[in-house]
Amino acid sequence: MNATALIDAAKDGILTGSVYALMATGLTLIFGVMDIINVAQGILVILGAYLSYALSVHLGIDLFLGLLITIPSLFVVGVVIERAFIGRLKGPEKTAMSILVTYAVSLLIEGALNIIFTVNDVQLHASYVNKSFLIGGIHFSFIYVAGFVMAVILLSALYFMLYRTRFGVSVRASLADQTSAALVGIDVRRVSTICFGIGVAVTAAGGMVYGATNAFNASTSYDLISRLLTIIVLGGMGSLGGAMIAGVSMVFIGDMVGVLWSPVWSTMAYFVVLIIVLLLRPQGLFGKPIARVA
Amino acid sequence: MNIRGKFFRALAVSAVTGASLLTIGSSSGAASSGTLAMGAPVKIGISLSLSGDFSADGLAYQQGYQLWAADVNKHGGLMGHKVVLDIVSDASSPTQVVTNYQKLISTDHVNLVFGPYSSLLTLPAAKAVSRYGYAMIEGAGGAPSVFQAGLKNVFDVTLPVANDLQPFAKWIASLSASKRPTTAAYVTSNDPFTQPQLPVAQKIMEKAGIKTVYNKVFAAEQTDFTPIADAVASAKPQVVVLGAVDVPTVSSFMQAFEQSGYNPKVFIATAGPDQGSSFLKAVGAKNANGIMVPNSWYGGSANPMSKVMVAEYIAKYGGTPSGVNADIAEAYAVGQTVAAAVNATKGFNNAAIIKYLHSGVVVQTVQGATSFNSLGQNLNMTAYTFQWQGKKFVQINPASDANSVKALFPKPAWGK
Amino acid sequence: MIRSKQLWWTLALAAFAIFPLVVTNPSDTTIAFFALLYMACATSWNMFSGYSGYIALGSGVFYGSGAYTMALISVHAHMAPGAAMFWLVPLGGVVATLIAIPVGWAALRVRRHTFVVITIAVFFVFQNMAINFGFTGGTAGLALPFITWDSSYYNIPFYYVALAVVIFATVLSVSVRRSRFGLQLLAIRDDEDRALGLGVKVGAVKRTGFAMSAFTIGMCGALYAMFVGQIYPQFVFDPMFDISIALMAFLGGLGTLTGPLLGALLLEAGQQYLTVTYSNGSLYLILFGALFLVVIMFMPQGVVVYFRDRVTKRADRERAVLAENEAALDLEKAH
Repeated sequence: MNATALIDAAKDGILTGSVYALMATGLTLIFGVMDIINVAQGILVILGAYLSYALSVHLGIDLFLGLLITIPSLFVVGVVIERAFIGRLKGPEKTAMSILVTYAVSLLIEGALNIIFTVNDVQLHASYVNKSFLIGGIHFSFIYVAGFVMAVILLSALYFMLYRTRFGVSVRASLADQTSAALVGIDVRRVSTICFGIGVAVTAAGGMVYGATNAFNASTSYDLISRLLTIIVLGGMGSLGGAMIAGVSMVFIGDMVGVLWSPVWSTMAYFVVLIIVLLLRPQGLFGKPIARVA
Repeated sequence: MNIRGKFFRALAVSAVTGASLLTIGSSSGAASSGTLAMGAPVKIGISLSLSGDFSADGLAYQQGYQLWAADVNKHGGLMGHKVVLDIVSDASSPTQVVTNYQKLISTDHVNLVFGPYSSLLTLPAAKAVSRYGYAMIEGAGGAPSVFQAGLKNVFDVTLPVANDLQPFAKWIASLSASKRPTTAAYVTSNDPFTQPQLPVAQKIMEKAGIKTVYNKVFAAEQTDFTPIADAVASAKPQVVVLGAVDVPTVSSFMQAFEQSGYNPKVFIATAGPDQGSSFLKAVGAKNANGIMVPNSWYGGSANPMSKVMVAEYIAKYGGTPSGVNADIAEAYAVGQTVAAAVNATKGFNNAAIIKYLHSGVVVQTVQGATSFNSLGQNLNMTAYTFQWQGKKFVQINPASDANSVKALFPKPAWGK
Repeated sequence: MIRSKQLWWTLALAAFAIFPLVVTNPSDTTIAFFALLYMACATSWNMFSGYSGYIALGSGVFYGSGAYTMALISVHAHMAPGAAMFWLVPLGGVVATLIAIPVGWAALRVRRHTFVVITIAVFFVFQNMAINFGFTGGTAGLALPFITWDSSYYNIPFYYVALAVVIFATVLSVSVRRSRFGLQLLAIRDDEDRALGLGVKVGAVKRTGFAMSAFTIGMCGALYAMFVGQIYPQFVFDPMFDISIALMAFLGGLGTLTGPLLGALLLEAGQQYLTVTYSNGSLYLILFGALFLVVIMFMPQGVVVYFRDRVTKRADRERAVLAENEAALDLEKAH
């Protein structure tokens, strides 16, 4: 096997993996803070991609510029979903119930997207989408590098928000103990809503990059969600850096197996690694060692 | 215990109401007798994937079937009966497709059925339909497994896929030594539709001295093709033969090739580029230039029936002949084949239709001459190779065909 | 009151038993057959996941293994198409159980959340193997011996075999629930560490429950393969199957006996009925999603628990008053 292929596989692993990380970030944030497993995340990524698509095709708005519109729009979508459904869930079965509720929400959105955009596959286009640049004889795709940079920026911003701001303190306080947080005057309800909104909003960026690198329609979301879920578990649920590392590992492991052996075993190799890691470290790579209450 | 009692009563009641709900509006199904009352419409039942994995093709098939029905009705219907299409969605699920055809036949009492989209759904559907003695005429179940099942009622109006790449490979092999590419890559999704096609081409091309530098199969459920595309690119083959079933796969490979600064001299994909405007929309019109695809029909076909159909399609949905998805013609040809059989047998008796289509008779459709062997395969058609040249989708071989134009070779640079 | 409970069970059973005789339309009996398959699967899934609280989302492994057992044996043994193939149904269950033993041994070493994801990962590993190993026929799948029964008769044997499987699953679930073993599973759900402290062999209990639940699901997979007559790896190892049976159990009432039965009946029959009725695929998605949301939001504990609670409310109030009086009495005595 030639060295270029291996270097390419490593590069692709890091770049495309970061796009998956970008899509998974919201999922891990929502789980980490709220104990909510949002299986609608897959379709929300696609919703973000479609929003970017509509803006660029109908209004001629650039993909990156469009994020200034799509990110706030998805924030609103997230807030609405949280207020209407998620926030009403209570009790010990909250996590399990959240899977059901968000699954139903994803069906609704899928049906609506099919009607609005039809089921024909589309892809986001811009002059720079297919462009790449050379560094040291290796081609770097512009859009993937942009995705990588956005992933790093967004993850850092979220990290900063959680650990360096007043809001972050109240988020983490609510996470640790809702009752005590409420007692010291934190509006737990509001914190949850905003958190969910942010978690959904960041998928707009992931959706844009995904839509620019893959042709998609609403049913693409099914492929996405299972991958996103395994990423956040491998990384450690609630861990932002973990999501990044896990996203990159997922693609990297698959690529290596594809280059060294055969692409048909790529997916399986990742899942085997996932099983082994979880058996050795049930909390995931960067998860908190104490298991959450089910 | 009283509580439990009530609760089980609720269960029993719901079971009974469930049962009675299902009974409403349904009576025992019987195969249609073949005669229709004067003025009664003829109902044709179809299950299509209007959501889920096959929905893009399902939608195109729906358009093709509807276009055919509108045409027939404009000309007085089938044997004087107005055609009514009864289309139900199977959400790309083989379980639902079985339920759907049973419902169409036994509840809706359709007179005839047309096939669903994809070999994966055609086989379970055809098995269920055959128990009712109905003919299953379809345009998208061309995988070898469909014909190996030994069903007597399946007729595929489209050329079986296995030999689709033959004219292409022969063309490459026939190029003069100075022009002929020297290396090729074969990469395919492990799908029953694509996998049988590539070895046929590989054998011919290797015989002509074209070295295989990459030959790999990737998983059908793969979502990220960049690493495979990069691996192909780093092997620098002059010809890429890609076994793909859909547009997203082809567009991912094209994008990754461009991004890694690699441009093959020849790029052919088993499906995707034949999807007309959907393909252009996904890959961008400029990048499509030079991309090839094997098939038995294209929007520019000189077939007079096809010309009429294409004109009608454009009048209804807009666009250009090049933008018409090949699925449309496949669906339309299904309708035409059935119509020919109905007219010849003077009725809607499925047994008579099956017997007629097995008789070796040749039916003319938008896709060309259609006749069936004992397995229900249509071996009467020619495989062509098509190519995107600018925004136009043209036929490039076999060279012997008058409609073939000169191939754009080598493929221009991306975006040019 | 025990008598009345038995009466209603008998009535429900009778309704199912005579159903295909009353409703002879094959499209309805097809939906009923699929509903029965899911009722058996959801009940069986609930017997482990509902009782123990360990949500498994990889049961498709057992369904697929059962389907492949049926397909591979019937094809390679050149079985004559017909009723004899039904004998392979329990064998599908056995193979599924044999696979569940090592899977459970590995997956149950971790606690709940991680367990969920490990089962998903195991599922994808199996799906990948079914796609890529040669003996499975790859993505072309396997065509089973073609049963040429007449359309008016075809569904009926399948229906009754499926009904037998549902009864088997229900009886098994009841027996487990009433046994010491069932109590141990429930104890694990309530507090695993405490159960361990009380001397419950939690590891062995969980592994046994997991393997037992695989048996019925394997049988259903085998039955599905025989019914449809053609299997493909991505459809018998279907991630939507994993989610569906869990949804059915949740919808009906997790950990209850009748919940999964009712949930599967409503969901599978309802879903197929809606899909076939509303030919517009996307509208069906919206309808189904909306219906689903309404049920979850208003009956978060499941349909069964919701109605049971409404009925119990009065009884509870009476009981509460009684308990208060007793407590007062006890207090007096203590004084």
